[in-house]
This record gives sequence, structure tokens and C-alpha cells, in this order.
Amino acid sequence: MSAHYDEAEVLRGVSLEVGAGEVVTLVGRNGAGKTTLLRCVMGLHRRASGTVRLEGRDLGAVPPHRRARRGLGYVPDDRGIYAGLSVEENLTLPPAKGASPWPLARVYEEFPALGERRRSPGGKLSGGEQQMLALARVLRTGARVLLCDEPTEGLAPIVVERIGEILREAKRNGTAVLLVEQNLRFATTVADRHYLLDRGRIAESLANDDVRQREHELLGYLGL
Amino acid sequence: MTSFLQQAFNGLVSGGFYALLALGLAVIFGMLHVVNFAHGAIYMLGAFGAVALQDTAGLGFWWALLLVPLTAALAGMVLERLFIHRLAALDPLYNFLLTFGIALVCQDLLRMKYGAQSRPYDEGPFPGSVDLGPFDYPAYQVFVLGAAAVVCLAVWLLLTRTRIGTVVRASTERPELTRALGIDTGRWVTPVFGFGVALAALAGVLAAPMRAVNSGMGADLIIAVFAVVVIGGLGSIPGAVVAGFAIGMLQALGNLYVPVLSQTSVFVLMAVVLLVRPAGLFGKEEHAL
Amino acid sequence: MGHTWSKAAVATAAVVAGSLLAGCGGGGPGSGGGKISDDGITLGVLTDLSGVYAELAGEDAVTAVEMAVADFEKKHGDDAVTDDIDVISADHQNKPDVANTRARNMYEREKADAVFDVPTSSAALAVANVAEQSQKLYFNIGAATTELTGESCNPYTYAWAYDTYMLANGTGTEVTRQGGESWYLIYPDYAFGQDMEKEFSTAIEEAGGEVVGKDPTPFPNDNFSTFLLKASAKKPAPAVLGTLQAGGDLVNVVKQYQQFKLKEKGIQLAIGLMFDTDIKAIGQDKLAGTMFTSAWFWNVDEESREWAERFREEAGTWPTFDHAANYSAATHYLEAVQRAGTDDPEEVNKELEGMEFDDFFARNAEVRAADHRVVHDAYLARVKDPADSETAGDFTEKVETIPADKAFGPPSPDCSMS
Repeated sequence: MSAHYDEAEVLRGVSLEVGAGEVVTLVGRNGAGKTTLLRCVMGLHRRASGTVRLEGRDLGAVPPHRRARRGLGYVPDDRGIYAGLSVEENLTLPPAKGASPWPLARVYEEFPALGERRRSPGGKLSGGEQQMLALARVLRTGARVLLCDEPTEGLAPIVVERIGEILREAKRNGTAVLLVEQNLRFATTVADRHYLLDRGRIAESLANDDVRQREHELLGYLGL
Repeated sequence: MTSFLQQAFNGLVSGGFYALLALGLAVIFGMLHVVNFAHGAIYMLGAFGAVALQDTAGLGFWWALLLVPLTAALAGMVLERLFIHRLAALDPLYNFLLTFGIALVCQDLLRMKYGAQSRPYDEGPFPGSVDLGPFDYPAYQVFVLGAAAVVCLAVWLLLTRTRIGTVVRASTERPELTRALGIDTGRWVTPVFGFGVALAALAGVLAAPMRAVNSGMGADLIIAVFAVVVIGGLGSIPGAVVAGFAIGMLQALGNLYVPVLSQTSVFVLMAVVLLVRPAGLFGKEEHAL
Repeated sequence: MGHTWSKAAVATAAVVAGSLLAGCGGGGPGSGGGKISDDGITLGVLTDLSGVYAELAGEDAVTAVEMAVADFEKKHGDDAVTDDIDVISADHQNKPDVANTRARNMYEREKADAVFDVPTSSAALAVANVAEQSQKLYFNIGAATTELTGESCNPYTYAWAYDTYMLANGTGTEVTRQGGESWYLIYPDYAFGQDMEKEFSTAIEEAGGEVVGKDPTPFPNDNFSTFLLKASAKKPAPAVLGTLQAGGDLVNVVKQYQQFKLKEKGIQLAIGLMFDTDIKAIGQDKLAGTMFTSAWFWNVDEESREWAERFREEAGTWPTFDHAANYSAATHYLEAVQRAGTDDPEEVNKELEGMEFDDFFARNAEVRAADHRVVHDAYLARVKDPADSETAGDFTEKVETIPADKAFGPPSPDCSMS
């Protein structure tokens, strides 16, 4: 997947790719353009230029809903839970089109909390439950590429751990994951590679070991 | 006490009209993010449609109740495809102006044809009275209230119990996310607009036997309906229905106890709601304009 | 008078307007041409051309005034005081501010010698004020307020057709006398409605009746059930529901009066002001038997019918009393100019004030000098059963004639002409 964008100076000539069964994180300060990059891949950004390829096919003019049907699964930074829809409606809203969609029963088996609250409105769930729901929702569709925008933000360690398990499992199943993440420790437990995004450009490409060794420097850089 | 109950009932009948109109506005706003200023004109056209069927084809109330909303839905879908759709990507103001212009054109065309005078319409079905215990009430108006309630309930079930309903609610709450989740929201825009328009036309047909049918009837009513929508929360379906009936009651009881304030009370309430909860009683903040 | 200048001005105006009579401006000396300002007479019809009164007055009121001019020209031929009579019209949208501007424009720029019609009381009061300031004549036809011949009366304003006193006195007094002694009044909450309510209450009480309840209603309003129920909940039930609403509101009241079965509960409907156009809007069958007071209706007698037939050929519809009164007022204005030999308003006033006359519209009429009220016979009328109608549009039958001296109130002490 390669992309080049030029829009309001948010992203400038970014090019990256994620392979099947690979987890790649995007790290960078607030405003570095991480969320914009995910939105561009999803086709949600109106004024973007560049190309997005999925398994070699150009998604250039493909509208967002078709991108989703071709296997892109989007988990936005605010988790994207419909407050007015029940848990089950939230889960079943996106059509299951991918190669290996999860049946609802499997979702509830993997996420018993969601099964217990299937009739509750999405707005009534806790932050952790909402994040689980957002992930479960794209997994259910059988998406081959997950675009996750800071899934661990503001969540308890035990929930973060669970998210890690889910992402690792997805990876084992051959799913490509592009993860926006500020939590470097977490990132190194799930990801294969990392891109450091700085003012709309990719400043560095890092391996897990680089991140571990330079943790202090990077944290300082990220302003954390 | 009897008079209180009677007036409350009056209020419910008025509220039925408000609810039907506000419901259409809410559905349209939710899906299209267009405040349909032509809604009052469509209500008026609905009533004129009933008159026209009676005068030209000799078709009575029941035919009108069937044919007029259907025609309105079709016309609304054509309108959406031809005009509203083209402006959808621009600032919402363009569609406000467009629908406002359409309302004025409709009103003035009818005024040119028929003048500002009212058009006669038959009494409608159910000429008798219904014994409601402490008081009698015109059967037709009881029917109108029942019809409004049934339609509101049906729309509610449609929205909460069907796939289309889920999609519409999702698109209303988060249009962009819904597209990113694989739903072609554009496909639903036109039918939803047609549906909202049909509700307004239905209210117009229901009004014909009990209200003056003239080119100004929609413009007079729609101001109160916009207040209802603002109070209930723009785009909120339960808000539209609850506020519709509540405002109807408020006006009727106002007429009974403080006649001077009955009209202003709606707008005072609107001002208070806007100050305390800018998004309306049932609205969510992000929907506030 | 600066004849040369004004001749040039009017000739230019006439050419610009493409008037047929443009050549006369500079040409032959018409009889008495020296006495007619701007070399001609211009009658301005300021009326509602687009709103709620556009049918009962409107374009057809202009037609009525044009008929009056044509009849005048035919009658006097070469002896006419001028052979240049124009009729102009404008839409005042029933708004006092618009009426004010348009009237000023008519008098000052378009050189109108007299303005006619002006439905809507607040607009008529504005025009009366302009007439006084411009010292030009105004013949009110369409507005009902008695204030025009009361506090706001002035030497340039005439009230030709009707007023709230006439309506209240006719319907209020007569219906009370016929046994409808207890009334419940509902009236729209603005100047006309408040005026009507006062006049009705007075008339009913003077006739020995009683107003047991009254409600101002919002305007406009499409749900009158509150008021209808309040009226029917009265113990004992009132004999008459008096509705003083007009236009669309009146239609709402009548439709809902029927649905709430007030008639079956013994509460009779009396309507304060109704035109043929309202009867058409509500449906004659629904109103059959309803009593109201009218200044005139087209089928009231042979002479009226003849005029109405002529009007219908011109306008395509039967005339309302507003149309007939516009014709009557324009005719008598032109005749007064003819007799005076000038269009100078003071001289025309001398001809009109105190004049007694009788035409198809105004029977046994007199132009009262004290307040410029034209008093004439009015009619207590009833909506015909559709089966009794002789032709489409024949809605009304006379119950009785209310003689001129009873139909209108005495001159108001509030009116001072000087």
C-alpha cells in the first residue's frame, strides 16, 4: 500500500505499506497527521491526492462504503459507537463481506460482556466495552485490513492487554493492521514495525528493538 | 376537570398534526442534514391534492389519503434527485434557500390559480360524535388523532425494528462513519426524503375536512412546527413526536387558562429550551446547528 | 396653476405610459379644461391584489372602477368635464406601511385625484392620513373600522360601503330580537376583531340580549376547538355563537363548528362579516340558513342584477359588495366633479357633502356632511339552501332591509372635520 497526500500541509508525501499478517504502528505527536492518514486510506478525506492500493488494486475513486466492502475495517479514534443503536445493532450494521466473517455467536463467545449487554444502547457501555465493540464490529465483517486509531487510549491495563490479544490473533489469521498508537510499550508487544510520523512526513522507520532501546528519547519526542 | 380533559384532547389533535410534520422534518434532517423549509408548502399541497381529487375526479377522502401521499413521495424523490442532491455537498445553507424558494413558488402558484381564498372540501368520513366518557368529541377528529398516533408508532417500529431503520438511525447519528462501515448511505437519501414528504402530504389530507384549505395554510402552521422541532431536538425522532404532542397540549391549555399567551408560549418555551439545552430536549450536542 | 409645466409633465408621463390619450395632453381644449388639474382625472384603486382579500376586492375592484369611468364617459360624451380619465391600481398587501407608501406615490407622483377601496382597517387608516396630508380624496370601500368616521375622520376621507357598526347592528340586533338572546363571541385578536367585538356586544345588549362569554382567538389560527368547547360547555348553553373571524379563520371556525355539532346542541351560528367569496370557500350547503348582514348582494333586486350581469361580462365572476361600492363611489365622485366643473377637492366636497342619492348599491343614501359616512339601506341576509339557488353563485337571500337611518350609527362625537 502506498500513499501520497498533499492536503493542507497535514500530510506530505507519505508512503508506507503493510503486509498481510503484519502489524505496523504509526507513532507521532498530536497533529502529526496520523488520524488524517487513516481517514485518507478509508477514503473519508475529500481533499487528498495520492494512491491507495489494496492487494495491488488501486482504490483511487472507490467511495468509502465500497472500500469497507473490499475488506478495510475502520476503528476511529473515538471508537465510533452509535449511542442510539443497541450493541447488537452496532455489531450487525456493517455488512459481513470479507473472506472469513465472524458469526455473531463467535463474537459473543469471544466478548461475553457484549453478549450480556446486546440489547443495551451503545452509549451506555463503558469505554473499554465500547472499544471491544468497535473491534468486534470490524472483525465480524471479516475485514482483511484493520485501521485502528489509538484503540488503547484512556483504557485500563487489563483492557489494553485484551486488545493486544485480539490484535495478535488477527495478525495470526493473516490480517494486516495499521495501528495509530502513542503507547510505545503496547506497540512493541503487538507490532512488527513502526513509522515515526513528524509534521506530515515519515521521519523514521523503526524496528521493535529500536523502539525499546530509544524509548526515553522517543517518549520525550512525543511529548509524553 | 371535564374542560381540562377536553382541552387536553384538543391539544392532542393539534399535536397530531405537529407530530406528523415534525416527524417528517426530523427524518429528512437526520438523513440529509437539510432543514426542509418546503415542508409547510407540502402540507398545503397535500390538502389541495385532496380538494383536486374531489373536484376533478370525484374521488373522496379515502382515495386522497392513499393517492396524495404516494404522489407526494414520488414528486419528493424527483425533487431530491433533480435539485437537493446537487447541493448536498455544499454548505447546508444552499439547500435551506432552495427549499425555502420551492415553498414560495408552490404557494404563489396556487395563489395565482386559486387566490388566497379557501377551497371547499367535503365533510370527510365519520360525521358523528364519539362518547369519550365525560364529553363528546367529533369522530373525525378522534380518527385524526388515532391516525397520527398510529403513523408515529409505525414510523417508530420501522426505525427500530427493521434493517432500513437501523441504517437510517446510524446515518442520522454518524453519517461519515456509517459510510466507512460499508453502508451506501446515498442510496437511502432519496427514499427517506420521499417518505418525509409523504408524511407532510398525509397531514395535509387529514387537515382538509377540518381546516381551511388555502395557499397560506402551510406557512401559518410551519412556524409552530419549526418551534416543535427545535424544542424536541433537530433530527430527533422521539423528540419530534413528544414535542409535537406536548406543544399541541400547551397551546390548547394556554387557550383555556391564559389565552393571551397561548401563541407566544411555544416560542417562550423554545427560547428557554435553547438556553438550557441548545440541542433540544432529545437532541445530541453534535446535531445542534 | 402652472399649466404649461404640468401639461408637459402629464404629456410626458402619458407618452411613457403609452396611454391612448397621450395626444390630448397638448391638444384640443377639452370642455372646462382649465379647471381640471393636470389636464385629466386619475382614479387610483389601492387594493389587495395578492392576499386574502384579492378575490372579494382585488383586480375586480379595479374593473368596477373602470366600468364606472366607461359609464360616465358614455353618459356625458362631449359634455364631460374632461375626456382624460385614467384608472391606476396598486397592491398594498394589506399592510399599513405599504399602503402608506403606495398612496403617497399615487397622489403625488401619479397625480391621482382620488383613491378607492383599501381593504384592511389599519391600511385604510394609513391611507386616510395620507389623503389628509396630501389634501386629496379617499373613498374607503373595503375597510370596516368606524374609526375612519370617528377619531380619525378628516375632510378628505369618505366611508362608502359598510362598517363594524353596520355589521354588528344588523346581525347582533336582529338575531337577538329573533330569540337568540345569549351570545358567545369569538373574535380575532387584532384591530378589526376587537372593534367588531365591542360593536357586537353593544348591539346585543341594547337589543336585550346578553354576551355570556367571549374569547379573543390567535390570528391566524387553525384550531378553534378550544373555543367551541368552551362555548358549548357554558351552562346554560348560549343560543348563539357569534364568530367575528374573517377569511381562512372563518372557514376553520365553520368547519369545526360543524364537527363539534354545536348546531345539534342548539347553538346557532352567526357570522360577523361574510362575503360571497367566503360562502364559496366554505360551501353553500354547509352554510345554508346562516344569517349575516351585508351592505349589498348582487341578487337583491332587479337593478342590482342588471348591473351584476354587466359586471360578470367584464370580470367573469359575480360582484361582491366591495365591487359594487367601488363602482358606486367612483360614479358619484365623477358626477360631483362634473357638477363642480373642477377636480379641486374642496369644490368636490361641496357637491358631495349632504348629497342624497339612490343607486343600485346604495338605497336611500345620504353622504353625511358631519363625518363623511355614506348611510344607506343594509340587508339582513341568509345563505340560501343550494336547492333554492337560481344560478351558480346565487348564495344569498334577503331576510329584511335595515333602513339607512338604522343601519349606521349616528355621527361620532369623536369626529371633528376641521
